[in-house]
Amino acid sequence: MSQIYRQARYPVHDIFQEHSVEREVTDNPLPDNIARREAPRIPDMPEYEVIRHFTRLSQMNYGVDSGFYPLGSCTMKFNPKYAELLCRETEAVDIHPYQPEDTVQGTLMIMYELQQMLAEISGMDSVSLQPAAGAHGEMTGLLIVNEFFRKKGEERNEIILPDTAHGTNPASAGMLGYKTIEIPSRDGCVDMKALEEAAGENTAAFMLTNPNTLGIFEENALQVAEIIHDAGGLLYYDGANLNAIMGKTSPGRMDYDIMHFNLHKTLSTPHGGGGPGSGPVGVSKELSSYLPVPVVGRAKGRYYLDYSLENTIGRIKGFYGNWLVLLRAYAYILREGSDGLTAVSERAVLNSNYMRKRLENVLELPYGQLRKHEFVLSGSGLKKKGLRTLDIAKRLLDYGYHAPTIYFPLIVEEALMIEPTETERKETLDGFVDALLSILDEDPETVRTAPHNTAVKRVDDAQASRDPVLSYRMRLNAK
Amino acid sequence: MKDEKEMLEYLGIDSVDELFTDIPEAVRHDMDLPAGMSELEVMGMVKDRLRKNKSLDRMVSFLGGGIYRQYVPASVYEILGRSEFYTSYTPYQAEISQGMLRALFEYQSLICELTGMDAANTSMYDHHTALGEAVRMARRIGKRKAKKFLLPENIHWDRLPVVRKYMIGSDIEIELVPFDSERGTIDPEELKGKMGDDTLGFYIESPNAFGVLEEDIKLFRDLREETGAVMIAGVNPFSLALLKPPSEWGADIVVGDSQPLGIPPSFGGPTVGIFACGKKHIRKMPGRMIGETVDKDGDTAYCMTLQTREQHIRRERATSNICTNEALSALASAVYMLLKGGRGLEETARICYKKGHELAKMIDGLDGYTAPRFTGEFFNEFAVDIPVEPADLTARAATRNLVPGIYLDRYFPGLDRTMLTAVCDTNTEEDMKLLVEVLRGVSP
Repeated sequence: MSQIYRQARYPVHDIFQEHSVEREVTDNPLPDNIARREAPRIPDMPEYEVIRHFTRLSQMNYGVDSGFYPLGSCTMKFNPKYAELLCRETEAVDIHPYQPEDTVQGTLMIMYELQQMLAEISGMDSVSLQPAAGAHGEMTGLLIVNEFFRKKGEERNEIILPDTAHGTNPASAGMLGYKTIEIPSRDGCVDMKALEEAAGENTAAFMLTNPNTLGIFEENALQVAEIIHDAGGLLYYDGANLNAIMGKTSPGRMDYDIMHFNLHKTLSTPHGGGGPGSGPVGVSKELSSYLPVPVVGRAKGRYYLDYSLENTIGRIKGFYGNWLVLLRAYAYILREGSDGLTAVSERAVLNSNYMRKRLENVLELPYGQLRKHEFVLSGSGLKKKGLRTLDIAKRLLDYGYHAPTIYFPLIVEEALMIEPTETERKETLDGFVDALLSILDEDPETVRTAPHNTAVKRVDDAQASRDPVLSYRMRLNAK
Repeated sequence: MKDEKEMLEYLGIDSVDELFTDIPEAVRHDMDLPAGMSELEVMGMVKDRLRKNKSLDRMVSFLGGGIYRQYVPASVYEILGRSEFYTSYTPYQAEISQGMLRALFEYQSLICELTGMDAANTSMYDHHTALGEAVRMARRIGKRKAKKFLLPENIHWDRLPVVRKYMIGSDIEIELVPFDSERGTIDPEELKGKMGDDTLGFYIESPNAFGVLEEDIKLFRDLREETGAVMIAGVNPFSLALLKPPSEWGADIVVGDSQPLGIPPSFGGPTVGIFACGKKHIRKMPGRMIGETVDKDGDTAYCMTLQTREQHIRRERATSNICTNEALSALASAVYMLLKGGRGLEETARICYKKGHELAKMIDGLDGYTAPRFTGEFFNEFAVDIPVEPADLTARAATRNLVPGIYLDRYFPGLDRTMLTAVCDTNTEEDMKLLVEVLRGVSP
């Protein structure tokens, strides 16, 4: 069984050692005082060697196109190829942010329409496409919170979060100098009593994702909103889990004031090995004048960059957002339409619950049953075999699967967070479940020493952090 | 799909609606988007909209201002199109992600070679946000009680407002240092005058908003030495093929944007924020970093490292909230640098420098024009004083399908009738002649 997958493993060529030389810059036209003398040690390689190098590296990598990638919270769904092709169009890539507006009407039109589509999906009033990623959207949202209360003359310095929150939530709040109040969960949901106690005159905002990171829908959504609004605070929706609820409910309907989208999750733009993503921010009508500028406006059939929002927080990034990511999301929404997006959420939730039911008696499933797009198992029972969740994750790689998210959320011991997404068929889900069952039957030593079939064996990350080598230069200097 | 029925049966339910019973009626939301389309229809409709753009290949453009139209070789697109790369995510599982990890380690190494710094992260969103994060990092590595951070007035116009946003929640106070109106560089006397015990740090951008290279390197080093302030340098990485690396200006942190290295203009995004620093500060850096280590057999391997700085571990006390970054664009820059090679990069930089200076000289010879407007040395971008109203020049240039540059009056009051013109390797001799001809035609 463990022979079913074998990743490519090429001999590691050190391109710096093999192809770069110490040399001086010749014929430097710059004045002596600022002219570079020693050339950077950038390898000089024939083009075909560069292509071969990166082709081989790509074969030592694993993406959604390689196989099942149930990385919880990250929504690793299929990235449609038409969107990739559109992003190669000359009129998409070969345009400059400062060229005259009348020569980028196509782009502005697409951005304008995307703003409206995202507002429709989310039930929010208006949208800014500027933030570059989800965490950047959070920061933008909290800057709006900050500016809103500053204008009102209220000093509110606390952000409330549940203990299941994504790490970016407290990090964004911390960056802006807010005190974070973490409230415990009860039965996997917001503890309403704890929320009531925490909410008060210092509450600037409450940040929540719904369904939450356990994959459970917070049924008290409206009561949560009421408590926070009664305390005079604002409600922030982390859109990481939007893939579960499209066409079913929306942050707008749940009375949220501010939210961000992760286009690279919900709207199928590729994750790019870590980015680029895009994190548009939607707000309620009351806050629409606080969005970052420019937004895209329309007047007399013409599209333009609108800098005139009355209470705008200003600018949070260069230029206008990650345009090529926006374009992909736009094409995807067109392709799916309302019915398609609703079906996306339905299938994502069906896949998740199917897997959940197949696995809930294999590993422990804390907090009840019904889940939305993802679920979290606990690997704490593995201890009696001398195994940890990490070992299971590593062994799954040998079977040709990417591992789930592990050790998050923090309230579940030895957590495995599984998000199958809608773009998988039953056979794939069954294959993964069978692999997991098979692993649990294996000799624990095989599991503990996994992976065996990947490009390298288990990586010593402790050494990497004890003795950091972050560049060729650092390696040379260490010797 | 036909497997839906089997799964519903397994779950003992008749319809997927039963999986949504936990969503109360009171919050139900129906979307009202247009009906879905076939792929054929989507391609037609989106391309139709894109055709309303006039792309740069159908005009002559001398636009820069942080985004440069350097030629991107076909091989860059080929590698970026490898879906093992672009459909992967942050390499949390190192063993199965060695390809991306290794490529990003090479990106870090290449940025370190250009900047002269020891370490770089795998990217920030762009130059602007990288600078915001760098100033915040100065708080972590700099003098505890000092609050003042100096930014030059010749910083890119959009960078200043972004940095100000990144200061909210910190005790850092931004103060601006005027520029020398003749040279276009930061005013050395003003800088000296403002530096003191209360100065947390200072930022030098070179090339700056006017394209001018900052030459007072010795002064920067001395000021940093004398006051113990943190020095942040902002760069165009392309210029570093010829320019003394910021490690030699005394920089503690280097920021910039890799866009000129293998990334098309793309309406300004995505690009790649460069972030590099010296070895002793790596544990205070924001963002993802790839480290070289070994696997259990002792073979070379790579993994994300120093993650305890990051949001998913450190939460509200993380060095930054950044999670998703611009990794694939960083990969594009790495591929680009390797395709050019050290010598190729240097040669292209030299060509841009020479063409830029040639163009400035041609424009300067025209009646009423001064180019470069500032006397400071420049790389491939320079300011031009024009003798007419920008609107008049724009109108005339448009009839010849030409965009001559960016007018600075909007961003720098006092610089009326000043235009910023950039020359890239995609600009031909004919382009330059056309620009000169059009400018000549609008002389007063």
